[in-house]
Amino acid sequence: MIDLFNMSSPDLKKYSVLEKHLSLLGIESPNICYQCSKCTSGCEAMKLLELEPHSIMASAKEGFIEEIMQSDSIWDCVGCYKCVERCPQKMSPVDLMYILKNWCVSSGKQLPGDYQKIIQNILSSGYVQDSLDVMDIHKKIWNRKSIKLPELKRPKDQQYFTKIISQIAVEGLL
Amino acid sequence: MKDLGLYLGCVIPNEQYGYEMSIREVIPEFDINLIDIENVSCCGAPLRSVNLMMQLYLSARNIALCESKDMDMYAPCPQCHLSLMETIHRLNNSDVLRDKIVKKLRDYEGLTYTGDLTIYHTLDLLYDEIGLERIKKKVKKPLDWNIACHYGCHTVRYSDLKRPDRAEHPSKMEEIIRVLGAKTNDYSEKLNCCGAPLLITHKDSALTKAGEKLKAIKERHFDATAIVCPFGGRMLDSNQEKAGKTIGEKLEIPVFYLTQLIGLSMKKQTNNLGIHLNLSSEKIFI
Repeated sequence: MIDLFNMSSPDLKKYSVLEKHLSLLGIESPNICYQCSKCTSGCEAMKLLELEPHSIMASAKEGFIEEIMQSDSIWDCVGCYKCVERCPQKMSPVDLMYILKNWCVSSGKQLPGDYQKIIQNILSSGYVQDSLDVMDIHKKIWNRKSIKLPELKRPKDQQYFTKIISQIAVEGLL
Repeated sequence: MKDLGLYLGCVIPNEQYGYEMSIREVIPEFDINLIDIENVSCCGAPLRSVNLMMQLYLSARNIALCESKDMDMYAPCPQCHLSLMETIHRLNNSDVLRDKIVKKLRDYEGLTYTGDLTIYHTLDLLYDEIGLERIKKKVKKPLDWNIACHYGCHTVRYSDLKRPDRAEHPSKMEEIIRVLGAKTNDYSEKLNCCGAPLLITHKDSALTKAGEKLKAIKERHFDATAIVCPFGGRMLDSNQEKAGKTIGEKLEIPVFYLTQLIGLSMKKQTNNLGIHLNLSSEKIFI
């Protein structure tokens, strides 16, 4: 996302949809960001992955929404919520990034990492993962049954659950 | 006797069995009856990046299932707890969202959502509901370790969503640890992330973050680390060896769930607390 301000033109229509989505979640518009960078100074993804939430806010505020969506950096956010906790203007870079990631997904952009698997698992079993066999310190293998934990509660009608969650998945926030 | 609907989420009942075992062993000792909620699923938190509507629906659905039994809820996973509290907050603040979700729950599944219930996490259940005095009375064998506390991001942030402890200077875990007879101290990396969310997209960075946190704990000469989050368990315990290799350090820090430590101080059998499943506990127990 280098020097976008000279290379591209802002999309104010998209910006106003972004503001609408943020306000639906009760979150202030990026308009009032004065670039103090408290979000970036505490960001858990800044040191290793060079995520700069204040840059995202600056680009968003200028209307460079598509450019933020095209850059992969929004997928580096760990969701630690330090930025929203510490923002003196009560904005939420983390939620702004969630919304833009939602837009990437609904526009058909391929999901990075294990996200596709996670969605599939939730749709097919109700959970992000199946029950794992785990090893103890003596290298003995255990599972829920052998530990004698009660049977896991799941959606009672799995097929119907899959159907309704898939239906909700195609709907946007508004 | 107080009934609480136990909502475990995905990671605890499918992988971090030691947390679940110690919860089922220890919490009922304090006159709390844990009732597994029927029909539940993932809380939706992992889907925030994909579709916020799915997250809100799944969280509201699990809340409504608990409400249908007229119980308050106990969600020991901070990520679930945050997602559930966030959903209540969002739906309380937007009639548009509330109407949408409430209607879907009613039409699709015949469920009634109000969001008017208390949702506890392990930390506020122990500290605020049970209280230090009652925990102290149960201690039969005081612990004599020096224990570092790892809260986990979602246990403390963000404040608008009523978290189990304060965002910047949490101390409930330390106070509980001291009641168990153990020592503890602040350390500057206490609020650092364990790296777990990065496992989805950047595995090496995730392990580096876990390794760096454990390295800092080791350098401060703690004997063990206490956690209240299954993602902390996954990163700091289950993946400790890999995290050590990633940053080129031998870590060997025993990591325990707070409920396991309470169980140990109550002289409960280690196998009933799932301590044999904590791969990092080898140094202390073998």
